[in-house]
Amino acid sequence: MAKAPPITNRIRTLREAQGGMSQAALAEAIGVTRQTIIAIELGKYSPSLESAFRISRVFGLGIEDVFGWETPPGG
Amino acid sequence: MSVIETVADMSFREKSAWGMGLVLSAGAFFYFSKVMSLSEALGRTAPPIIGFVIAYVVFIVIASVIVMSVLAGTAGKEANAPADEREKVIADKAGNWSGYVLAVPALGGLWHYSVNLDGNMLFHLIFLSLMLSQISEYVFQIALYRRGA
Repeated sequence: MAKAPPITNRIRTLREAQGGMSQAALAEAIGVTRQTIIAIELGKYSPSLESAFRISRVFGLGIEDVFGWETPPGG
Repeated sequence: MSVIETVADMSFREKSAWGMGLVLSAGAFFYFSKVMSLSEALGRTAPPIIGFVIAYVVFIVIASVIVMSVLAGTAGKEANAPADEREKVIADKAGNWSGYVLAVPALGGLWHYSVNLDGNMLFHLIFLSLMLSQISEYVFQIALYRRGA
């Protein structure tokens, strides 16, 4: 099992807050596949800086309002 | 999640990796079953038979066209879209790792030749390493798609 990157996100919560925006709609908006959005939401894949900005702008927020950094134990 | 749901949930590129991996595995099985049965009949390593190689290549080309046409037909516009950033990372990692798979049987073949001077076996091992490398690239891609990235 791959070690999850320490980057957290609130994408799912924000999608639901925006009237239940679908993963497919978000994927279309930032130019990736729906499976990539799923992987990002689950914390299995850390998006590029460009995609992180694109996602944040879809929600009208700053990047740190969507993504966070979880300091690993001992890190 | 059922198998059908799992397949339906895959991206076009993951489905392609499954399709091509299965096609190449079937081709490799076909080729080496012919070579092994001929070797058993001869009582020694079969020489390279160009007819087997041509049959293998023709099978791969035809089966690939059929599989990719079916997948592209059911994928809609996703089939024409370029790979996204995660898919590129997966392709890069899988391609890198498959290079090591290429090296192992190829070096084994060279070592075998240096000891036994069996050029026929060298040919088959080099051909096998090319097949295994390509198959493993798709296997690595599938593993990375399943894992997330």
